[in-house]
Amino acid sequence: MPKILLVEDNEMNRDMLSRRLEKRGYTLAIAVDGGAGVAMAKSEQPDLILMDMSLPVLDGWDATRQVKADPATAKIPIIALTAHAMESDRQKALGAGCDDFDTKPVELNRLLLKIEELLKKFPPKA
Amino acid sequence: MRSLRAVANTPVKSLSFRWQLTLFILMICGVTLSLAFVGLYLNDIRQFDEEIRSRLEKTQFLMGENITPLLEQNPEVTDLPLRSLGVDSQIAAAAVFTPDGKMLARYIRAGAHEVIPPPPKNLSSLLGSRRAVVWSTITSSTGKPLGLLYLKAAESDADRERVGQLLRGSIIIFSVAAFLAIAVAFRLGGRFTQPITELAQVSTSVQRTHDYSERVQSSASGEIGELIESFNGMLDTIETKTSELEQARETAEGAKEQLEEANRTLEARVEDRTKLLAKAVKDAEEASKAKSSFLAKMSHELRTPLNAIIGYSEILHEDAMDDGNTRSAEDLDKVLNAARHLLGLINDVLDISKIEAGKMELYIESFEVSKLVNEVIATASPLIAKKGNTLALECPPDIGTMRADATKVRQMLLNLLSNASKFTERGTITLKVTRNTEEATLHFAVKDTGIGMTPEQLGRLFQAFSQADASTTSKYGGTGLGLAISKQFAQMMNGDITVTSEAGAGSTFTIRLPETVEAKKPKVVNQSSPRLTRSPFTKEKRPKILVVDDDKDIRNVITEILDQSGYEVFTAGSGQQGLDLAAQIVPDLIILDLMMPGMDGWTVLTKLQHKPALADIPVIILSAASGLEMAMSLGAAAVLFKPVDANHLTAEIAAHLAPLPPSYVLLVEDDADSRTLITRLLDNEGWPSRSAINGNAALRILKKAAPAMIVLDLKMAGMNGFELLELIGKNPVWAKIPVVIVTSMDLTTDMRDYLTPRTVRILYKGRFSREDLVNLIRPAITASTAATGAPSATPNAAPAATTA
Repeated sequence: MPKILLVEDNEMNRDMLSRRLEKRGYTLAIAVDGGAGVAMAKSEQPDLILMDMSLPVLDGWDATRQVKADPATAKIPIIALTAHAMESDRQKALGAGCDDFDTKPVELNRLLLKIEELLKKFPPKA
Repeated sequence: MRSLRAVANTPVKSLSFRWQLTLFILMICGVTLSLAFVGLYLNDIRQFDEEIRSRLEKTQFLMGENITPLLEQNPEVTDLPLRSLGVDSQIAAAAVFTPDGKMLARYIRAGAHEVIPPPPKNLSSLLGSRRAVVWSTITSSTGKPLGLLYLKAAESDADRERVGQLLRGSIIIFSVAAFLAIAVAFRLGGRFTQPITELAQVSTSVQRTHDYSERVQSSASGEIGELIESFNGMLDTIETKTSELEQARETAEGAKEQLEEANRTLEARVEDRTKLLAKAVKDAEEASKAKSSFLAKMSHELRTPLNAIIGYSEILHEDAMDDGNTRSAEDLDKVLNAARHLLGLINDVLDISKIEAGKMELYIESFEVSKLVNEVIATASPLIAKKGNTLALECPPDIGTMRADATKVRQMLLNLLSNASKFTERGTITLKVTRNTEEATLHFAVKDTGIGMTPEQLGRLFQAFSQADASTTSKYGGTGLGLAISKQFAQMMNGDITVTSEAGAGSTFTIRLPETVEAKKPKVVNQSSPRLTRSPFTKEKRPKILVVDDDKDIRNVITEILDQSGYEVFTAGSGQQGLDLAAQIVPDLIILDLMMPGMDGWTVLTKLQHKPALADIPVIILSAASGLEMAMSLGAAAVLFKPVDANHLTAEIAAHLAPLPPSYVLLVEDDADSRTLITRLLDNEGWPSRSAINGNAALRILKKAAPAMIVLDLKMAGMNGFELLELIGKNPVWAKIPVVIVTSMDLTTDMRDYLTPRTVRILYKGRFSREDLVNLIRPAITASTAATGAPSATPNAAPAATTA
């Protein structure tokens, strides 16, 4: 099953989203800040990353930039998750290298569609 | 003529009045005495002549008595007794002639040298002609002429003595008279001239010292007295007037001081008020910022717990469904609906706040219209089905694409469909999509068969926070913000939403949007808090500025800004019109748009450069377009980006129009940041400067006045640093201006060889300190200031006046 790295500092959000994704058969890896996210992207080699943008240590934009700058992780698709619903945020996220963008609160069906779409575009290696 | 008279007058004029008077008296004495002397002398001579004549006539008579008998006897007799005349010492010579002129006898007194003239032809004409000579005819008793007698009297010493005495007497009398005249002139003259002399002295002294308290002390009678009196009176008047004037001046000075004091107070008050205003503006800006950040925070803070509520409710709902616990699943559905509704409300409030704050953005993208409509239908279907409504979709599959903000179009359609289903029960809701190729617009019409609206309700429909009826909110739910937001969205995309409705029969809402929505950018920034730089000239002299832009709004807004800043503004809506107007009014500056239908800005710029009368007018490019480099190379003086920044625009205009200060530094640099940096550095030193974006602009400034120093970048669009240096070198005046190169270029040896003799120093960007540049410029400024005698500006001299 595809492995998803969820980078999220809010415990409740992390819990909800991971449980619902696991229920749908995805394998989850969890990081609680941007720095850990970048490290785990390298060590876990997930098939997709769900990246919150307002993160401690290293924010989501910088974490995305680092992931995309490292050849070992550059090809992993990233979906930005942000509570800011402004267009400039969307631009900013895409500018940082995110492949897609979704606003919080997460609408699970919409997010699942985006995940599936990206996994089709970047098929898991295994 | 004038000079001659002056010369003639000078010796007399230089004499004092007293001497003039003396001279005058003497002259009258002299003339009188001379006339008396001549009269006496002539009278004396006449008497003397008479005496001689009568003596000669007596002698003649006696001679005639003696000679006549002798001649009667013998007319040729020569032995006449003339010698007896010797007893009369007064006869100098005598002779007797026959009637036909032959001398018979003669006598010449011993010791006298006399020549006896021949008898004249006509005797009568000679009678009495010479006082000392007598010719007479000797006639017989019968009246027959016997001969002619000549007698000449001698001038005796006594005669001479008499004339000499007369002359001596006259001279003595004249001398005595002259002496008396001088004495009288001095004694009397002093009395007459003294007042006049004093008058003259006082008037000269008053003229020299302006001391109007002096008076002529002498008194005199007659006209001089009157003259002195009126002169003193005049001095009285002048003294009074002068003291009055002095008083008035003092009063005025006092008033002026008071006025200045009042001005200072006023200035201080204005300054205080300005500070207060600036603070108020700042406070307002801060409040506005606080509101925005509060909204952003609210958005986050409200959504985070909602996120959890919705998320966990969904998990529970899923679990309940899996467990077959339908009761719980239904309850959780209600929780979820309420939570989603709350989220919708929050989003609406945020949307309307953002729109009101002008912070709502558009994200324009191309999308398939039918795909978007199908997505919307999928989302709205459950809502429509809820009240037993059916949906009819009329959308041609080949409707094609459009360019707009898809998210907002989706939100608008959902809003209309959700409204329709809210107010309709067991009816039909129709979504009809059409494309109007003529208008290049797309129409989305949502028609329902619901309760409809009265005209009054329609009137308030699109206002925020106002549903058709207050009771509606409680019955149907919603904030009533949805339509207001949708209408705003439509208008942001240059479209609109219209409605037709009939109470009880249903409503039709139609969204009309352009096929291609242009990203609407604000036309002006800083409009709410402008700091306009005023015209560098007085209110009376408003420089003429021509604005050439096809956008009417831009023309209007610039006109307003420039009018406030003290300029006379002319506008043209097209390139051609701009050129025509420029030739007609010859403006002091032109503001030019680049992208214009018909003749574009680049063409206008080129044509301006080719007209000698207009080539030196600075042109500021104001454009949202690219191609600015080309405009620069075509000779633009400055390049500004749209949206119009009132602060930058007015500052740029003032900088181009202000007269060049003495001993200024000319900065030629195309990079705006570098320009600002170096200008600020020069400002800090108190050195005035002028910037040019390239060589072309620099030349325009150089032509006006040579700077003390040139700070030159090398790589620039248009005329670059090397080309400018080449031109500078050819002008003998410019060639003397010291040049410092500031560049980021990697210079080849050839380049360095070229630059070294032409410049003071080459500085590399990012590799020199402020002090390096300042120390290079200082000597040039000092030398130039010394040469022109211009005072150097004080550090941090106030920049052009600004109005808040």
